[in-house]
Amino acid sequence: MNLAHLHLVLNHFPIIGTIIGLGLLVVSFAGKNDDLKRAGLIVLAAVALLALPTFFSGIGAQGAVRRDPAVSAALIERHEGAAMLALFFMEIAGALALVGLWKLYRGSTGRRWSPTSIAILFFSVATAGLMARVGTTGGDIRHPEIRLAVTGAQESGLSALVHVLEPSPARFTDLMLISKWWWAFMMDLHFIGLALLIGTVGILNLRMLGFAKQLPVAPLHRLTPWAMGGFGINALTGVLAFIGMPNYYTFDVAFWLKMLALLLLGLNVAAFYLTDAFQSVEHLGPGEDAPLLAKFFAATSLVLWFAVIALGRYIQSFTDTISVQ
Amino acid sequence: MVLPLPLLRTIEESGFSTWLRESESPFAFYFVLLFHTFGLALLVGANAVIDLRLLGIEREIPLAPLKRLFGIMWLGFAINAASGVLLLIAYPTKELTNPVFYTKLALVGFAVWVMTTLKSRVFDDPTLNEAAMIARGRTLAKWSLVLWIGVITAGRLLAYTYTYLTFPS
Repeated sequence: MNLAHLHLVLNHFPIIGTIIGLGLLVVSFAGKNDDLKRAGLIVLAAVALLALPTFFSGIGAQGAVRRDPAVSAALIERHEGAAMLALFFMEIAGALALVGLWKLYRGSTGRRWSPTSIAILFFSVATAGLMARVGTTGGDIRHPEIRLAVTGAQESGLSALVHVLEPSPARFTDLMLISKWWWAFMMDLHFIGLALLIGTVGILNLRMLGFAKQLPVAPLHRLTPWAMGGFGINALTGVLAFIGMPNYYTFDVAFWLKMLALLLLGLNVAAFYLTDAFQSVEHLGPGEDAPLLAKFFAATSLVLWFAVIALGRYIQSFTDTISVQ
Repeated sequence: MVLPLPLLRTIEESGFSTWLRESESPFAFYFVLLFHTFGLALLVGANAVIDLRLLGIEREIPLAPLKRLFGIMWLGFAINAASGVLLLIAYPTKELTNPVFYTKLALVGFAVWVMTTLKSRVFDDPTLNEAAMIARGRTLAKWSLVLWIGVITAGRLLAYTYTYLTFPS
């Protein structure tokens, strides 16, 4: 298996997942159903996480396909620009979905047309449309039977309008490398985000494992938005760093293991909230012990977050450990 | 300041320094670096939680039991002091010829002083109620956040601002 396989496996999830998440949301609005709304938001957040490795694997797929003379570099570039625009909308939709899930949990279900709900609907509709274009432009690279124009450079109608908004991948890359101070600033934020994330997630996990048992769990759990904030800073600076040096990260085994650990953390969070583990610790008071299942999720969370740190540090040492083919 | 240049060279040419710097083993330089980042996460992460709580977030988290976090901070500090010395042995010239390095050390010194003061003045006095703890700890908490962010920033800049990577031949 190479990165082109990975790209082909992953690339259906953001497109179809966005439509499913959006569909659930729309139905939940029509029927005022909070469970459906929650399901839709979970799907959007999960798809936003999956969209990251999907985007990252595109550079590897490009490396594999570029040597074929029948493949047009212009079509690949158009697909990449479309993917960048869609990714940013997808990540905003995913972040808003997490905000929405948090608000649902905190019990503010009264207003259907809250600003958050409207923003989630807007960004997921826009993402669904942009993802359709990402899929079409991606298909054009390898499927001449669906290609309208031979070069694919001509755009018309709505796609011409969207194309104006799509970044040029090469120019975006240059922009990220414009100054070492900008790069240092992004990396600085990445480490500050790390400290915020590990501090807030870590104390909750440690409490569940029995550390500082005098602390009640519920108010510690309310630190979650700070952890999300730390993760948001790091997702953004991480994506920008990738765009700045795509080849540095793409052909690096430590980078991909870090992505794997992040996906496992996504599963860990989902399993924690969707099994009864969360309910079993939600109202633990001072001195009370967490059940074994909750301890298991707390331990895996800590191990995986420290694995993410370790693998991030090994990226520099493992560059060029993945061959193009 | 006059640097003991021959000493830098001697350290750098030692077998251990060379191994740390040049070995292909995954347990050389990057292994030390990852522990330095683990330590950062423990030390700054634990500080951030206490600082933010003192500055007013999630008032339902009882303050007194957060004292246990100081153990985690010292664990992180110990890991980073040890891994920091090893990183310094690997690249003595790079670090010691860079003013940012001394800035970082000074910031660490101030930050640790704030940390110990926070513990002794706010958390070691069992007679204080929460309002009194916050009144005493607020300013220290602000300084703590600013100083630790400064330490991280200085540490990051070390990777981008050096003049010599190794001793010039």
